[in-house]
Amino acid sequence: MRYAGAVVDSSVNPADPAPLPDYSEDGVDLSLIRWTLSLIPLERLQFLEDRINDILAIRELNART
Amino acid sequence: MQERKLLVTLRSLCEHHIQFVLVGGLAAVLNGAPIHTYDIDLVYSREPSNVARLSNVLREVNGYQLDLHTTIGQGLSYSDLLSLSDEMAISEEIRVRVLNLETLISIKERLGSEKDVAVLPILRQTLRESKKKSSI
Repeated sequence: MRYAGAVVDSSVNPADPAPLPDYSEDGVDLSLIRWTLSLIPLERLQFLEDRINDILAIRELNART
Repeated sequence: MQERKLLVTLRSLCEHHIQFVLVGGLAAVLNGAPIHTYDIDLVYSREPSNVARLSNVLREVNGYQLDLHTTIGQGLSYSDLLSLSDEMAISEEIRVRVLNLETLISIKERLGSEKDVAVLPILRQTLRESKKKSSI
């Protein structure tokens, strides 16, 4: 499962009001939040665990070199 | 494939009928916040049979790191958190109570540690986006 950047909503009509911003004024990635909110709880947990496993694997690799 | 320790641990808690509320980083993740956490923070009921069952889980499960609390914030216990949490279905066998984002944010605002303050912008925006999504 990967987050591939801001989701493009093809149903958005160019004539509609301004599209949703990708970042909040304080720099929070809103497109990422919208993506995680689109996941079911199980998918949120799996995404977390995959990322943690990736981080731990990189740390272990760096510890060896 | 790496073992899914997180699900193994949560499943074990459910199978042993442990009364608990998930709090902390995992509660934020389950509420949709894109943050990382390396452990499972939970507040458990101090009812003696629940404590005994929890001890059995701790002996049996080699899973995710569990951080056990009897209270959080300003002394909120398991029974206090029941009305401040929602039940979430992770799978057929795993249904857990998860602290709601509003309360999580409020607790972190009061705690005010650097770690808590750092994550607040993400939690606040997650709450905002979640409410927008619910209102559609």
